[in-house]
Amino acid sequence: MKGYDHDIIVIGGGPSGSTFSRIAAQAGLDVLVVDKRKEIGYPVRCGEGLGAREIIREGLELPKQVYSTPIQGAKVVAPNGKSIVWKDEETKGWVLERKMFDKWLAELAVAKGAEFHVYTRALDYLKKDGKINGVVLSHGGREPYEVTAPLVISAEGMEAIMARKAGFKTVHNPYDVDTCYEYEMKPYDHENLIELYFGNQIAPRGYVWIFPKADKKANVGIGIGGTVLNGTKRGNMKGSDPKILLDQFIKNDKQLREASTLLDFGGVISVGSPIDEFVKDNIMVIGTGAKQVDPIHGGGIAIAMETAIIAANTAIKAFEKKDFSKATLYEYEKIWRDGLGKKMNKRLMLRKVMEKVSDDDLNYIFNAITDQDLNQVMKGQFAGPVAKVLAGRPQLLGILSALVS
Amino acid sequence: MITIDHSGCILCVGCSSVCPVNAIEVVGTRMEHFPEKCIDCGACVRICPANVIEMYKGVKSVKDLPADKQKPR
Repeated sequence: MKGYDHDIIVIGGGPSGSTFSRIAAQAGLDVLVVDKRKEIGYPVRCGEGLGAREIIREGLELPKQVYSTPIQGAKVVAPNGKSIVWKDEETKGWVLERKMFDKWLAELAVAKGAEFHVYTRALDYLKKDGKINGVVLSHGGREPYEVTAPLVISAEGMEAIMARKAGFKTVHNPYDVDTCYEYEMKPYDHENLIELYFGNQIAPRGYVWIFPKADKKANVGIGIGGTVLNGTKRGNMKGSDPKILLDQFIKNDKQLREASTLLDFGGVISVGSPIDEFVKDNIMVIGTGAKQVDPIHGGGIAIAMETAIIAANTAIKAFEKKDFSKATLYEYEKIWRDGLGKKMNKRLMLRKVMEKVSDDDLNYIFNAITDQDLNQVMKGQFAGPVAKVLAGRPQLLGILSALVS
Repeated sequence: MITIDHSGCILCVGCSSVCPVNAIEVVGTRMEHFPEKCIDCGACVRICPANVIEMYKGVKSVKDLPADKQKPR
């Protein structure tokens, strides 16, 4: 925009930042994307699963190098080993090669005219008459420089430092995170299903996952509640230690205990509710930084991409009106809360109910429901499956009633 | 304040995401701690998946740490 260096500055080149900038650049806006990492997509953050719907909806075609293997469905396993296999359109997708995937999304945005700079950190905001009108950047810790734009997008992911500096409440309460540990392992014979193992002994307030990968590899990981005190941390402090439980799981699995580890990493994922506001004058927060994640599994990629499109369309309108006030930008927040927000609220309810269910009850529930019921539950249609469970185990009414009230 | 064993840190930024006072941030290519801001709440220690953070309650500067912890690893 006239009088500014760029139309939009996007902080963060992950799935939300790259998708936002692709849509905005395609509409002719001048978009600068900065990412503090030295390389787009690296270090890799948690998460390699992506549903097919997102890519199809956007009319994109996933190139071979960005995924390891397609997924046919999900296998959900109860504490006693009983499993439900669930295969339908909902569960089709890919296990990604995350670094390559992030790079691909960034390159699509570059092809539409967005300008990316890596190893470039946003230090602070520039302000005029009390309103944000740019950011102070530094490349590789060198001399800071100023760049102006009437609109700033925080697409920062978990820590969301710049969003915090703008007054958004992006700090996570430890209760609202899961701590994760994961290995890439080989060999593991799989059926191209995502395997999820539940149970309070296996993974308190979380689950163990086995994501199939090409060439008999698998991403084997665990997420447990951030306030679970199952381990002893340095200095003898009690804390959440996912690795102990993951190693235990692997030791009990005939295939995995013989397998090699090829990669070892971990992370912290957000599993709570979204932040209480996404926009202020001249700034929007999108993606995981706004805690826009699925509270059941902590997945954020698909939501981030869907959110980025909503936000980009609002941004395009703001440029047409040359109005970047909170009131104008709020359109994005309203669409989000009315749509995705409602869906995520239901998922959060489900997570909170699952936390209270004992392993014995969980075994019962897995026995009582079918893959069709599971499908309904994931769509937020709880009534049918809940009724089925309560018919045989009415004492669960106290816990499950939260889902149908 | 806390110490971070950078040799084992996996840069997941989990600590930074739960720190209520912005006392840990990625600076360059590693996590950096700002002891003057730290309130010794221990959230980062409890959630660190790599178990590389250790808390020294009440200590406010590096020079008051045990001798073997003063040099960054």
